[in-house]
Amino acid sequence: MFNNAMGLILADNKKISLGELSNPRALSAMPFGGRYRIIDFMLSNMVNSGVKNVGLLTYNKYKSLMDHTGTGGAWSLDRKNDGLHILPPYVNSEATNISSDEELTGVIDFLRQSRTPYVIVAGANVILNTTFDSFIKSHEESGADISVMYNRDGTKYGNPSYILDIDEDGFVRDMLFNPAKATSQKCSLGILVLRKDLLIDILARQMAHGQSHFGIHSIVKMFDEFKVHGFEYSGVVLRINNVQSYFNASMSLLTDSVRNDLFWSGKPIYTKVKDEAPTLYFDNAEMSDSIVSDGCRIYGKVESSVIFRSVTIAKNTTIKNCVIMQDVHISENCHLENVILDKNAFVRPGVRLVGHPDYPIVIGKGAGI
Amino acid sequence: MARTEVVAMILAGGQGSRLGVLTKTVAKPAVPFGSRYRIIDFPLSNCVNSGIEIVGVLTQYQPLALNTYVGNGHPWDLDRNNAGAYILPPFQSNSGSDWYKGTANAIYQNMSFIDDNDPEYVVILSGDHIYKMDYAAMLKAHIEKGADATIAVYEVPWEEAPRFGILNTKEEDVIEEFEEKPAKPKSNLASMGVYIFTWSVLRQALIEDEADPNSNNDFGKNIVPNLLAQGKKLCAYRFAGYWKDVGTISSLWETNMDILDKPEEINLVDRSWKIFSRNPVKPSHFIGAGAKVKNSALTDGCRIFGDVEHSVLSESVIVEKGAIVKDCVLMPGVVVKEGARIERCVIDQGTVIGKNVQAGSFVDGEGPYTNHKICSEGICVFERGLTIKDGAVIPANSMIDSDLEVPEDCKIIESKFRA
Repeated sequence: MFNNAMGLILADNKKISLGELSNPRALSAMPFGGRYRIIDFMLSNMVNSGVKNVGLLTYNKYKSLMDHTGTGGAWSLDRKNDGLHILPPYVNSEATNISSDEELTGVIDFLRQSRTPYVIVAGANVILNTTFDSFIKSHEESGADISVMYNRDGTKYGNPSYILDIDEDGFVRDMLFNPAKATSQKCSLGILVLRKDLLIDILARQMAHGQSHFGIHSIVKMFDEFKVHGFEYSGVVLRINNVQSYFNASMSLLTDSVRNDLFWSGKPIYTKVKDEAPTLYFDNAEMSDSIVSDGCRIYGKVESSVIFRSVTIAKNTTIKNCVIMQDVHISENCHLENVILDKNAFVRPGVRLVGHPDYPIVIGKGAGI
Repeated sequence: MARTEVVAMILAGGQGSRLGVLTKTVAKPAVPFGSRYRIIDFPLSNCVNSGIEIVGVLTQYQPLALNTYVGNGHPWDLDRNNAGAYILPPFQSNSGSDWYKGTANAIYQNMSFIDDNDPEYVVILSGDHIYKMDYAAMLKAHIEKGADATIAVYEVPWEEAPRFGILNTKEEDVIEEFEEKPAKPKSNLASMGVYIFTWSVLRQALIEDEADPNSNNDFGKNIVPNLLAQGKKLCAYRFAGYWKDVGTISSLWETNMDILDKPEEINLVDRSWKIFSRNPVKPSHFIGAGAKVKNSALTDGCRIFGDVEHSVLSESVIVEKGAIVKDCVLMPGVVVKEGARIERCVIDQGTVIGKNVQAGSFVDGEGPYTNHKICSEGICVFERGLTIKDGAVIPANSMIDSDLEVPEDCKIIESKFRA
């Protein structure tokens, strides 16, 4: 545990689209794993590391995110000193559209107000459960200006990916964006630690050069000028780059090793509490290999699926390889396979929907089938 | 509303000795119930849903778990600036110190807490019933009838009436007489232990009751009869919803089973009247391939690889492969190891049932742990934090209590941790 760092989370990523799923929300507000949003993991990582001051940088579509975080109480970030700060773009009352400069101005102000020497910067598209103690320690010992966390994901990573070329001393000497042919398996997690003052300098300079917004990898790219050290993370990492990787990441939770690393390693993942009733399984329920959240009513058959809160699955209905979000109702005599259903979707009796595991069907928020 | 209209006081200090080992180290209101809840969640949530924002929780017996659980009242939105949940233990003063001698004395000792809030009315609640009730509607009736006190009543079957405190009423449900457990009841209106008093009336009655050395300082036995004798207007308020006392092992078990058998009666999914609870911060539950889960209630953190039928499981329960759990109430963190078979067992927090253990209603005979005083209907109850030896056989109606002296060859408890 340390208290010498603040956190800055980039809550959205304009390079990543989950199609219909990311229409209503920022990437980090994407529901994940039954009762979580993607942001819960990074927020919890920071809180479990002793970070008490976290900024969430948003562009647009931040309503869903703000509904979720509130004042940060669920993460014990509703504090008198520090706490959770949502940093929406600063909109000048006269401006008709958002000036990108103002986005960085807000961040710089937030950084200046903090009293901690370090800042941990993270994106919205990686899911992992860790604390940053050893990351910061390695940063201090390496004498680097900036440290970046990476892992070796083989060739599984999807785009956008930033592949690091790291020398024998552990310093980054090159970085490739979406390389056609990977030269290394070291893929950046988009998690940085650096001195707060250095980050302020970099951002001020970028602003002066007319750079539009905060880019984590535009900082890593400065390896010619600064000493950028790589820190390898060996735990489970799930990357959310598109609908397919979202689906695969959800399904990987059904594997014991992934579930145990993300949820049962002694570092709790906090989320907004909904106070739903317990889930009830009725007479003919048949369950196998599935994650289910509170408040559900299960009458049918569920296999290899991730079920969020307050979902109803009626009798004679079969659900297989599906991700079913909060408040979805699936009527009798349906058969759903390889489908992602967003919140509040309603499936009428007798519907048959079969997607392919490599190309799941997506049903949008509140849709009726 | 700048002035406080109502203060609620929850009597949560009783031991609940009929729950046996379940209340060895916690007060009854802190006993886990219904997969996600503790018993006290029901009166606390009823208060909040009724718009009552000042709630005193009177604790005395084993208050640690209850104090930690209620905490600052945040899970019930009772962490307000000038209101909220207040834990009220017995205290010392310069005239000496006293334990709470009875329900009325507990309120008497906290008269200054109520006076400080200066309410018009006081709601007195107990922490041992499962029900959803709008106290605001009851208060409205209290005010409209111009009553000095209103007592919520529940129509019980006539044959059960002798087990309850019975209120005999005349027209318009004005109470004439209170009879504690009458052999020949004249009415079937049982007191639910939910009272609304006009504070000035109750305040006076508490002072008089305290001055009487022969009093039991009890609401049912003393305060209500005294007010009737003084000619005060006491009214019955009929409540028709779901209401269950969970004071015994069999009623606690049965009320848990009601969640499965009659889910529409207590209707926990009603979003207009949510029952709030302190959240355990655990992931969604997981049901493995080859597991069977039927007619059961599960919540966060459970991991199920065996068969679960007609059971209520609290957070983080593990049922291993090949284990059979039927008609059971498993409290937070219970582990049932592979090959074990348990039926009609109520198992307190963190207890581990060893491999191939056979326990519960299907096991005939009697053993050193058989306890017909606490257990009935074949139900077995286990103390918290025990590890039960592999292969142990535990007959119906047993209470597994680590303090019980048993012959060496009958020992079934391998170890015990402080849970």
